[in-house]
Amino acid sequence: RLAEAANAGPVGGVERDASVRGDSPSASTHTPPRARAPRLSPGALPRAPGSTPCDQRPGILAPRPPSAPGAAPRAPHPRSGRSLLGAPPRPPARAGSRARRRRRRSGRRARPPAAARRTPVAVAACGAAHGPAAGLASPRAPAPRPPPRARAHAPLLFCQLTAPPPRPAAPAADQGSWCLCQLNGAADLEVSEADIISTVEFNHTGELLATGDKGGRVVIFQREPESKNAPHSQGEYDVYSTFQSHEPEFDYLKSLEIEEKINKIKWLPQQNAAHSLLSTNDKTIKLWKITERDKRPEGYNLKDEEGKLKDLSTVTSLQVPVLKPMDLMVEVSPRRIFANGHTYHINSISVNSDCETYMSADDLRINLWHLAITDRSFNIVDIKPANMEDLTEVITASEFHPHHCNLFVYSSSKGSLRLCDMRAAALCDKHSKLFEEPEDPSNRSFFSEIISSVSDVKFSHSGRYMLTRDYLTVKVWDLNMEARPIETYQVHDYLRSKLCSLYENDCIFDKFECAWNGSDSVIMTGAYNNFFRMFDRNTKRDVTLEASRESSKPRAVLKPRRVCVGGKRRRDDISVDSLDFTKKILHTAWHPAENIIAIAATNNLYIFQDKVNSEMH
Amino acid sequence: MGIKTRVSLDSRLSPSHPEFFERMKPQSPKGSFVRYMLGKGGKRKFDEHEDGLEGKIMSPCDGPSKVSYTLQRQTIFNISLMKLYNHRPLTEPSLQKTVLINNMLRRIQEELKQEGSLRPVFTPSSQPTTEPSDSYREAPPAFSHLASPSAHPCDLGSTTPLEACLTPASLLEDDDTFCTPQAMQPAAPTKLSPPALPPEKDSFSSALDEIEELCPTSTSTEAAAAATDSAKGTSSEAGAQKPEGPQESRADDSKLMDSLPGNFEIMTSTGFLTDLTLDDILFADIDTSMYDFDPCTSASGTASKMAPVSADDLLKTLAPYSSQPVAPSQPFKMDLTELDHIMEVLVGS
Repeated sequence: RLAEAANAGPVGGVERDASVRGDSPSASTHTPPRARAPRLSPGALPRAPGSTPCDQRPGILAPRPPSAPGAAPRAPHPRSGRSLLGAPPRPPARAGSRARRRRRRSGRRARPPAAARRTPVAVAACGAAHGPAAGLASPRAPAPRPPPRARAHAPLLFCQLTAPPPRPAAPAADQGSWCLCQLNGAADLEVSEADIISTVEFNHTGELLATGDKGGRVVIFQREPESKNAPHSQGEYDVYSTFQSHEPEFDYLKSLEIEEKINKIKWLPQQNAAHSLLSTNDKTIKLWKITERDKRPEGYNLKDEEGKLKDLSTVTSLQVPVLKPMDLMVEVSPRRIFANGHTYHINSISVNSDCETYMSADDLRINLWHLAITDRSFNIVDIKPANMEDLTEVITASEFHPHHCNLFVYSSSKGSLRLCDMRAAALCDKHSKLFEEPEDPSNRSFFSEIISSVSDVKFSHSGRYMLTRDYLTVKVWDLNMEARPIETYQVHDYLRSKLCSLYENDCIFDKFECAWNGSDSVIMTGAYNNFFRMFDRNTKRDVTLEASRESSKPRAVLKPRRVCVGGKRRRDDISVDSLDFTKKILHTAWHPAENIIAIAATNNLYIFQDKVNSEMH
Repeated sequence: MGIKTRVSLDSRLSPSHPEFFERMKPQSPKGSFVRYMLGKGGKRKFDEHEDGLEGKIMSPCDGPSKVSYTLQRQTIFNISLMKLYNHRPLTEPSLQKTVLINNMLRRIQEELKQEGSLRPVFTPSSQPTTEPSDSYREAPPAFSHLASPSAHPCDLGSTTPLEACLTPASLLEDDDTFCTPQAMQPAAPTKLSPPALPPEKDSFSSALDEIEELCPTSTSTEAAAAATDSAKGTSSEAGAQKPEGPQESRADDSKLMDSLPGNFEIMTSTGFLTDLTLDDILFADIDTSMYDFDPCTSASGTASKMAPVSADDLLKTLAPYSSQPVAPSQPFKMDLTELDHIMEVLVGS
């Protein structure tokens, strides 16, 4: 409690200060008062120069530049700026009974009346994000060395342990020789909830990598072009832009908070110089456009350098404005907000291969949207029973087929997959194919249903297979065979004896994701204790690797880890009983073409690269 | 599985025979796994509470016999009920999780009904030692149709309505002999229990207690539940050795069959709009009166009979509660107003 108070002190102080003298120089130097929250200025920090090899850097935790606005480790934590964020103060009349029920946050943020709530806030948030985004894009190019402070995941330090493994003398090829490429995130023992990464996604070329976190922020990393001077920096991803995608909201009708946590990010295929992505929290999907600008017009006739109108009497001659190069700026702007389409929590979004539509799935329904139309969507799946008492199954994930724009699949909490064809009917309540594996009677237990609940489903790049993850296994399904999966891999079968405890502490509900490599030959998924697993479909070899600061020495190739179950325990083995169930790797992503993987471990983002097999298997 | 089950009937005493829920048993020094996990788990907040649960979970797992299955089942049932109320306030609980937990509860209840339909077969007294197991033996098969609860097997006879499962009054009275005054002191007064019911705790009053205890101090409930479990675990183990053992566990089980008017179904009425709240799917058709939550046997009385395997841990876990039975912990973050409402309905009915 004391610690809390101590923490809260400065934050509260700053906040109060700021709100009192919102226009004082100190508060307004960097952002307009209303949008003071530092995180709202996308990439407002000079980005880290990518060319410096990490071993020349002082250490993992690079010093924070004193000048960085709001970058003090905790002080003006992003959340502290919240009270300044738009939203007129709530009228006192409403402060009565509801105020009591609102505990978190509410004290810190004035809420508008219910009626005015949803849209205005969304607009306010976007406006705020938009303003600085347009105005304050960061000077991207030769930033003065250090501030490798990615505001990305708040007290998060951007540090590259990139290292040059000079082609280590080779572990078994099919186990790969993964080595840490870089690591983003703070080493703090205390992890703020808002900094926990909740999704990771490469774009279609692999040039960009986006992460979303529970604090509603999106951080985009860009891969450095391979330089001849520093071959080791190849594959290094630098912070490209950071922006606040979603804000916490309060649903007055239900008296429930709507978390700002980013549930999923999906990139749109690039169609012009700009990049676009969809991000979603539980209820609202947003389309963001990320653009670069490295030129600005100069020499206007009526405006001076600062954009002020010139005194007409001083204009004596006419000139043609010219474009002058300038520091690269990355601008992020919200293009569309798809709100009010979902009653339940959105668990997945998927962009169609036609590049015009996408779908969003919540617990009971799937909606189809046009990317340009925000005010209507089409319900394509609805499994909500007439009587909610009859509800025994929910949708857990869904995805479009990578090539056939009419096909999509969704998974359920009972472990089945349903493939639907939108040509068959507008409302795809009748699936075209049902993929379901009969239950193995020898593994039957109280928890059979829970552990069979599918947490993620992914089409292979080829479109021929589907990959599903349930609590203990990953399965590969052939679209042409519905009776059972063609391959089943045990992720952590040793937990089968612990299900009761895992149920008790809620771990059994963890939603692990899974990923294909670029050639569909290897699959990857996460586990506990910061372990992640890879399964080579051809050689049937599997490996357990660990994402940790300690074991991921920059130069070293990751050593396979083993979890021992019985008595015989080799050195370096870890016992089942000492697994840390708070360190879980739920979100992973594989570069679409190369052997680069991004692993989200709590608030850290690890990027590993298989230098030996850098081409596809 | 069925084969294994049958084998286990004869080798119940063997601590290592293959058993349906044996796989839940920790394979390493007891409790360390759970302690570690719970200690690290982000969701739980109270150490004492966790310790209590640990004892609760692990001790049944050690039970070698069929009884351990029912204990396991009750433990899971209790945990499930707790989970339904334990979500963070003001946030919408995950529908997926709620549905999965709800399915779990339904299944257990289904299974209980199945067992309940067998109940009249047995005479209430002088059970042969194996008979309780016989009734349990039917449970796993009932459970085997997890994937399709609707297609429940009728091999045990058609599913009887709940009323048919009512325990004969004689059994209820038998309970009194086991509800010794030493029993864990209820944290909340049972003033609401109808006078017609036995003075000692029955399902109805215990459900009321449960509700009351949910609110400010639930530690005693936890302690009580842990005590119940430990007591049962012990009695089941002892049952194999002592002649009065079977009867004791028998009586315990008979309590499970109590079906009384007051149950959690009432909560169904608290949901107003299906889209707005999950309350209406909670307990929609879960009849919690099938289970008792309160101890009817004294923890101290059975502690002395504890099997050597679990005695230490159980004593350890129970210790904190005996010293301070009403700790200000509140694992059930239930809304007070909601409780009030429930109480109103209960009293009104």
